[in-house]
Amino acid sequence: MFNLFSLSWRNIWRHRGRSLMTAGAVGLAVYFTLVYLSFLGAMENGIYNNLTASVGHLQVRVEGYREKREFRDLLIPNAAQVEARLATQTQASRVVALEIPALVAGETRSRGVLLIGDQRPSELRERFVKQSLVEGRLPETGDLESIALGVSLARALKVGLGDPVYVYAPGTEGRGAGAYRLVGLLRFPDPATEAQSAYLALAAAQELAAPGSATRIELHFPFTRYSQDNQLDTLQPQLAASLGPGLSLESWRQASPAIAQIFNLLTPLVLIFAAIFFGLAGLLVVNTIYLGLLERTRELGVIVALGAGPAQVTRMVVLESLLLCSSGTLVGGVLGLATIAALSGGFSLEALYGEVGGVFGLPEKVYLSLGAWDIPITLGFTLITGLLAAWWPARVAARLEPVEAMRFTA
Amino acid sequence: MNPVLQVKNLKKIYKVDTVETPALQGVSLEVHQGEFIALAGPSGSGKSTLLHLMGGLDKPTSGEVWLGGKRIDGLSRAQLSDLRLWNVGFVFQAYNLIPVLTALENAAFVLELRGEPREVRESKALGALETLGMKDFAHRRPNQLSGGQQQRVAVARALAARPKIILADEPTANLDSKTGLALIEHMRTLNREHGVTFVFSTHDPRLLERVDRIVRLEDGQIAA
Repeated sequence: MFNLFSLSWRNIWRHRGRSLMTAGAVGLAVYFTLVYLSFLGAMENGIYNNLTASVGHLQVRVEGYREKREFRDLLIPNAAQVEARLATQTQASRVVALEIPALVAGETRSRGVLLIGDQRPSELRERFVKQSLVEGRLPETGDLESIALGVSLARALKVGLGDPVYVYAPGTEGRGAGAYRLVGLLRFPDPATEAQSAYLALAAAQELAAPGSATRIELHFPFTRYSQDNQLDTLQPQLAASLGPGLSLESWRQASPAIAQIFNLLTPLVLIFAAIFFGLAGLLVVNTIYLGLLERTRELGVIVALGAGPAQVTRMVVLESLLLCSSGTLVGGVLGLATIAALSGGFSLEALYGEVGGVFGLPEKVYLSLGAWDIPITLGFTLITGLLAAWWPARVAARLEPVEAMRFTA
Repeated sequence: MNPVLQVKNLKKIYKVDTVETPALQGVSLEVHQGEFIALAGPSGSGKSTLLHLMGGLDKPTSGEVWLGGKRIDGLSRAQLSDLRLWNVGFVFQAYNLIPVLTALENAAFVLELRGEPREVRESKALGALETLGMKDFAHRRPNQLSGGQQQRVAVARALAARPKIILADEPTANLDSKTGLALIEHMRTLNREHGVTFVFSTHDPRLLERVDRIVRLEDGQIAA
């Protein structure tokens, strides 16, 4: 026994080819939207993880550090104490770093660099080694005699592993100069960064330029997805309150406003594309539903004559549109989810963007995965498309005069 | 006894641009419970128009239509739909079954619009099909039925809803004479045994021999 639902379902399959094509268009829109949303999510997560791995989710800095020019004005005194206080407030991993403008020299050449002495927990150290170390090793914690350089910097200085490297940091508060042994070569996506990169252990950098001090303390939280980032909204003010005077706590968004802006643009951008996909599919749905109604004008006239009210006729047309869209959604959704599942193990985009990707912090591998809102957003688009596509044909059908409709000949 | 249906001085003028075509010119008629009435007359005499106005499918230019003691000519579109749904059964010349539904589902269509429970719909529709000798064809689609069988399903659709009155617009026009007569016999039996009130239009003289009353229309008026 039928009901209006099954009648609508049978009606949309009267013209199998036309309905299949329309449902296919909706399916494609659903497929592309799901894959696109998951791809966008994967890119967001990849960029987010790369960026926060290099700058931390939150950073302790000297207040107003951007305006300060003197090296000593940028120093966080008693960095170990500040770090220890933070350790009582949060489980986040901490990186203590001292950045020193310095002159680095080999036997025959010298270059100006931003020397970094840092101390990082083992998981972040391993990640840094995996991503950047191409030869040798990093200076160990507390190692006062080793240095690692960017590959292009080492080439410019004409030094190789095992060669001596001399560092001058005039105007600082430590020894101001030191001789080290080159133990590691580093590669960075940005050539400019690579040509200026020199790494010491934190202790060595403090001995050289600022005993006991640091220029930044990074906090790294165990977030793997960009969607977890909103937890910082609560954490940041809580942790900032525990800092002493003269120090500030800023988020990665505040530290890298340009990249934060890109993040803000990504979601609206994908929604615009989805709206275009569904808009085009919606036109096909309108066409199919309207043609179907036109061909069934006499039949609709009979239905109205038998007592179907405007609300029932509207419901029938809307149901047809929603069922057509749902059929496409089901197929497109299943194919989209299968594609996402197949690519969830990760695939490389290096061939697509080459080395440039690294400069912008793009991930080497993209792992497709769906965010909590991706499926509701896609279903929402389908529902809106189905309803909008039905609106006009339903209005026409609900206004049919039964006598005129029954006389209609297509 | 109050009539089931009553029309008073009914006029209908169709307007196309500035051209006016009178279809009915002051028709008055009463139909009582259990009557079996034929509207007779040549093409263009106003039979279909009168049936449409009596069933609330169209609105008169002037005059009154009363159904079950209620005046219906001024009702809104939604009110008229509701009135037709609960009070009037229609049988059309071209069967007008819904092709994607089976005979049983077509017979139950009005009951579905009324929102009656599935079991009730099925039972009433099957009963109506059985009355018309169509029970064995209940699960066939219209394209698997002959013209006469389709029209019997159309009558079953009207009958299953148990309306106050069934209006049939030339129900035998598309049928051969034997099938047409058989259909009229079915309708006549329903009228006699179940008290169903029928008003139908025809210009087939053989059918007119089987009715209680003939209302002859000529040029939109009841002929003397």
